[in-house]
Amino acid sequence: MDDFICPRCRTSKFQNPSMKMMVNVCGHGLCESCVDLLFLKGSGSCPECRIPLRRNNFRVQLFEDSAVEKEVDIRKRVLRDYNKREEDFATLQEYNDYLEEVETIIFNLTNDIDIVNTNKRIEQYKRDNKEQILKSKGRLGREEYEMEEMLEFEKQREEERKKVIQLEEVEIKKKKIREKEALIDELMFSNADAKNILDTFAQQAQQEKKEEEEEEVRKIPGKATQFSTGIQFGRQSHSTFLPVPTDEGPIYVYKPLEFDSDGPKPPNDIDIVEKHFLNHVRSETDTERAGGYKANIACLRALQDAMMGLFHSKKSIKS
Amino acid sequence: MTNKLNKYEKIEFLGEGQFATVYKARDVDTDNIVAVKKIKLGSRQEAQDGINRTALREIKLLQELHHLNIIGLLDVFGHMSNVSLVFDFMDTDLEVIIKDNTIILTTANIKSYILQTLQGLEYLHLNWILHRDLKPNNLLVNANGVLKVGDFGLAKLYGSPNRINTHQVVTRWYRPPELLFGAKQYGTCIDMWAVGCILAELLLRVPLFPGVSDLDQLTKIFGVFGNPTEENWPGVRGLSDYVDFKPFTPIPLKSIFTAAGDDLLDLIEGLLVLSPIGRRNCTESLKMAFFSNKPAPTAGPKLPLPQSLRKAREAQKPTLKRKLLDKMEGDILAKRLVF
Repeated sequence: MDDFICPRCRTSKFQNPSMKMMVNVCGHGLCESCVDLLFLKGSGSCPECRIPLRRNNFRVQLFEDSAVEKEVDIRKRVLRDYNKREEDFATLQEYNDYLEEVETIIFNLTNDIDIVNTNKRIEQYKRDNKEQILKSKGRLGREEYEMEEMLEFEKQREEERKKVIQLEEVEIKKKKIREKEALIDELMFSNADAKNILDTFAQQAQQEKKEEEEEEVRKIPGKATQFSTGIQFGRQSHSTFLPVPTDEGPIYVYKPLEFDSDGPKPPNDIDIVEKHFLNHVRSETDTERAGGYKANIACLRALQDAMMGLFHSKKSIKS
Repeated sequence: MTNKLNKYEKIEFLGEGQFATVYKARDVDTDNIVAVKKIKLGSRQEAQDGINRTALREIKLLQELHHLNIIGLLDVFGHMSNVSLVFDFMDTDLEVIIKDNTIILTTANIKSYILQTLQGLEYLHLNWILHRDLKPNNLLVNANGVLKVGDFGLAKLYGSPNRINTHQVVTRWYRPPELLFGAKQYGTCIDMWAVGCILAELLLRVPLFPGVSDLDQLTKIFGVFGNPTEENWPGVRGLSDYVDFKPFTPIPLKSIFTAAGDDLLDLIEGLLVLSPIGRRNCTESLKMAFFSNKPAPTAGPKLPLPQSLRKAREAQKPTLKRKLLDKMEGDILAKRLVF
């Protein structure tokens, strides 16, 4: 409890149970209201070690020991860049060396040993492995996402199963009550020997039990197939689709645009090749083709320009 | 001239660009809402070469273009030494819609937007016009969900074999690699690349290639598609500004557009091709399975509206209190008549 005293305002958990301790990168704590006060002027520095702090680096303290808090923070930051995995190394020895190095860096940073050089080392590593880091990041992100999806899916299945089991239990209870009532009725109103009646009911109950057991045996393989990963993934992608809205316009069908050219129909882009129109146009150079220009374009346009409006007369204006 | 000037009644100031100021106005005769773009002529010295080139292009081309998905130039009039162009009034544009994070764009919505863009562009291209400045900001959308291609300040006729065009066109993020390499002869493919970038932006909600310089732009492009080679882009080394880049490994589009279906990925793959010759044109794109597949494109009025517009609309709707008050006033008036 004594650890939870804010170094600035001297409030403790004892005086103010709702006090929240926050911690920043340097590992020194501060209570929530002091953090608010500290950043009133826009920027602030740690009251104990005087290093400048950023407000959004303040987090609620999770561990009692602020050194642990600091290490967790640093580890998070370092591992963001040192994100290689065992598959990325040829031998186990190399992987172990790599892990050792990462731990050394984290230890150094946590205990303020040789910070300048360690930071240099990280920078160097970042520069050398820029692409690798980016790639791994993408991969990690994707894997995490898939993992989350799988967990979510499993949770759903679990809930469904629970519901089914509950329903079954209720059903069984009801059935038992019904059977009992039937037995009592039989005993009350029937003229047959009471012992006989009891026997027949007992036999019936046993038979039903057997059937149930058989049914369960049959059920199990069905469940197993639903949990094979292949099927799970297939279902997963289906369930993530947005619900298809039904109130939509008609399906689009392509209709070619039509022009009234007021002249004969100019040849199309197939014609100009087959009927050798292209031979009369300067063919494009390699550079022009690389820029997206082709002689077809000029040829087509020239032909269209030439034929457009050939049928034009004063009459057609008036009408 | 003077009666034309009085034909439009200014409602509010909408915005100011480099060459023009835009006002929302009402056509007094028909009561239609229009947008009036008043071209800035600048000082006497600037004006001596005649009217601004971008305005000239807009007047020249738009007068003859009539398509649902192309902004309509309704009127042009001059006053003193000013020139004003009267356009259809559009409520918003795709940039606003993309940046509004309260809007969720479904596949059907995206399909509708891209479909309308391509239909307008097909009409342009068939009329031998390149837009040369396609970007979400220039795709205007009105409250009925009709998308119109706007801003023809950089548009130009194409298809003459000997004309040299400038490669300094199209906003950088939507500029295709051949223009970044300095191609002087190009075709419709430059607009198709921009459509691909816009489609990507509709999906990602951030620009696909936000380059900070021309070289950075190419780096971003090759970071996704890999370096151009003589195999996938014949003649690329002959382009005037060609430079070698350090080798990139291509990333599969599926890992960028994780939420896109296969038919949509096919469309993107057809539009964003390094070699301009390999890119699909409008007609080919419109015939692709994506557009004819389900879900059908969202009908215009059902397309989402940006937050600002929705609020304005709700404010216009009379509240219950207002309605009640109106009713009461009506009663009072009636009583007065009786007495």
